Amino acid sequence: MSALLEIENLRVAFNTRHGEVTALDSVSLTVNAGETLGVVGESGCGKSITALSVMGLIPSPPGRIAGGAIRLAGEDLTRVSEARMRALRGAELAMIFQEPMTSLNPVFTVGDQIAEAIMLHQKVGHAQAFRDAVALLDRVGIPSPDRRARDYPHQLSGGMRQRVMIAMAVSCRPRVLIADEPTTALDVTVQAQIFDLLNEIQRDFGAAIILITHDMGAISEMADRVAVMYAGRVIEEADADDVLDHPQHPYTRGLISCIPALGKGDTELREIPGVVPPLHRLGAGCAFAERCAHRNGRCDSGKPLLVNHGHHPAACHAVQEGRI
Amino acid sequence: MSVLLDVQDLTVQFTLPRQGLFGPRPVLEAVRQVSFRLEQGRALGIVGESGSGKTTAAMATIRLVEAASGKVIFQGEDLLQLDDAAMRQRRRDVQLIFQDPYSSLNPRARVADIVREPMDLMEIGTPEERRARVTDLFRLVGLRPDQLSLFPHQFSGGQRQRISIARALTTNPKLLVCDEPVSALDVAIQAQILNLLARLKAELGLSYLFISHDLGVVRHVCDDVAVMYLGKIVEMAPREALFDTPQHPYTQALLSAAPSLARRKSRGYVRPVKISGDPPSPINPPKGCAFVERCPKAQDICRRVQPLLESRGQNRVACHFPG
Ligand SMILES: Nc1ncnc2c1ncn2[C@@H]1O[C@H](COP(=O)(O)OP(=O)(O)OP(=O)(O)O)[C@@H](O)[C@H]1O
Ligand SMILES: Nc1ncnc2c1ncn2[C@@H]1O[C@H](COP(=O)(O)OP(=O)(O)O)[C@@H](O)[C@H]1O
Ligand code: SF4
Ligand code: SF4
Ligand SMILES: [Mg+2]
Ligand SMILES: [Mg+2]
Repeated sequence: MSALLEIENLRVAFNTRHGEVTALDSVSLTVNAGETLGVVGESGCGKSITALSVMGLIPSPPGRIAGGAIRLAGEDLTRVSEARMRALRGAELAMIFQEPMTSLNPVFTVGDQIAEAIMLHQKVGHAQAFRDAVALLDRVGIPSPDRRARDYPHQLSGGMRQRVMIAMAVSCRPRVLIADEPTTALDVTVQAQIFDLLNEIQRDFGAAIILITHDMGAISEMADRVAVMYAGRVIEEADADDVLDHPQHPYTRGLISCIPALGKGDTELREIPGVVPPLHRLGAGCAFAERCAHRNGRCDSGKPLLVNHGHHPAACHAVQEGRI
Repeated sequence: MSVLLDVQDLTVQFTLPRQGLFGPRPVLEAVRQVSFRLEQGRALGIVGESGSGKTTAAMATIRLVEAASGKVIFQGEDLLQLDDAAMRQRRRDVQLIFQDPYSSLNPRARVADIVREPMDLMEIGTPEERRARVTDLFRLVGLRPDQLSLFPHQFSGGQRQRISIARALTTNPKLLVCDEPVSALDVAIQAQILNLLARLKAELGLSYLFISHDLGVVRHVCDDVAVMYLGKIVEMAPREALFDTPQHPYTQALLSAAPSLARRKSRGYVRPVKISGDPPSPINPPKGCAFVERCPKAQDICRRVQPLLESRGQNRVACHFPG
């Protein structure tokens, strides 16, 4: 059976002052209903561009989808009309962003905005839609939802605004919910509430969730499967337990061991030296080579492919040669 | 061990704009009777949610924000009593690095000038000596001297944080206030900077007042930890005691909220302590315990009587029902 959402060999290019750069290269991912896929990697690795591609929101120009397919229940989203995409967004696909203020309209009450989203996709009047909005605010844990529905976004705390975003995102029970660093701007206690809420919502109606984060701890708590991205490619992909307990790619190993853990102190953290290279400087070899302790001649001449060498798929010559 | 910094009952108030035309001007007490000690060569972590008063407490300690009352005994003298000239002399002993390495560096200055500036301002050494020191510091923080003539935008975020650290070290400070020094950085880069800060502390005998909302980072860097909630320290303890035997329900909630590799979705983890809601407003804080609205253990007395910091094993905790 094919997955609910399938991204296959996706390539996204941007026109920049350095010429055309490839922001996503050969990205393939799948998500099933009721499953959470965690996408992790340092900033600039292509996590958000992957999300925006699925939503049909790549700014164009300067960006364009240069190859591959994104299939939602078999329908290739890279080929549908803008009208069809608009109908799918909100109804079948929804996204919540890091900073909810950027996607909420400051001059409308949050109740009206959720009601508006409902009326866009369902044949209901405003009164009914507003009642549904209040029920949703209650569902996402906003106290006194009747009163809060009449508040403007700036009257709410960061955590409440993110709940409003979630209420709006799930108002039409989308099949795929993408959360792009949804808690980065929030305190940990509020982050924990938002994570618990996303899990409850998933249990309620079986949405597929793509959770984008740079936090391996969040991946551990939330994800069923994990894709690790580096410089526009997926470099490792497997069940969360496999990736976290048996990381293969040197980058994944580094990401896990450089976290200062709650359970220990003092010991020197393992570092990943250097930084993610800019897209216009990606060469013919492995993009991680400059930072990698296992690099050899092969790494400079050809890009390693994401293939399964035994444990689970990782794009690394050393792993594939059995050197590490 | 000698006490470098002894802060006693520090209180900071902000007077806010009038509400309406004739309304009173509300007073916000951002820091409420905060006391802590920092020993030479150690790092004290301050954790707590946004708005809990971490930055304000640290800034008031080094007199970059005015305190309403309290004492800040630094190397035996009360900084809050010093006149401006005397305080300027102390500035070389206390330096500061911020969260955002982007906005805290002048974009139009070469980094050599940025790093040298504190020595210029305080007229430390000859021009020759200053130049030599800048080069030494550059190496010390892991940058190459041939990068000295570049501008801040030509460096990555982690490198820019190294530049701010070099600048902070020019005057040979004894105390470094680090306000969320790695929050803006990617995890891989965070590790580089945390290792650097740990090395500098050991090699130079620096003391840190280290603010972070990331408990893992604090556990890694700090010897002692203070937890703030709504302007007050609600728990304070040596690192192990705080993380292994937290006594305050808020500390417990923070620890159970922090994402951890030890909790796995596949194993169906359940958060041990859950709290709801956001912190209350610092204007008109609750009369009793500030945590009462969110606390799973709250009783009647918590509403009426403010709990004071009391010893419990190695921890000091402000709660009627600790443990
Ligand atoms: N200059 C100011 N005028 C008025 N209120 C202020 C001022 N500076 C801080 N506050 C208030 O004081 C309280 C404590 O703020 P502070 O910046 O110290 O918190 P923090 O713990 O450092 O938070 P964060 O984690 O967001 O940095 C907050 O309620 C804040 O809004
Ligand atoms: N509008 C744009 N023009 C040019 N390059 C872009 C644009 N948007 C994103 N990129 C580049 O695409 C890459 C991936 O970005 P993004 O997906 O936002 O990363 P992240 O993993 O941090 O979410 C980055 O190198 C970024 O600079
Ligand atoms: S392919 Fe080579 S350089 Fe790239 S991660 Fe593997 S060993 Fe390192
Ligand atoms: S004093 Fe009461 S409300 Fe406050 S933390 Fe302790 S038990 Fe909870
Ligand atoms: Mg992003
Ligand atoms: Mg602060």
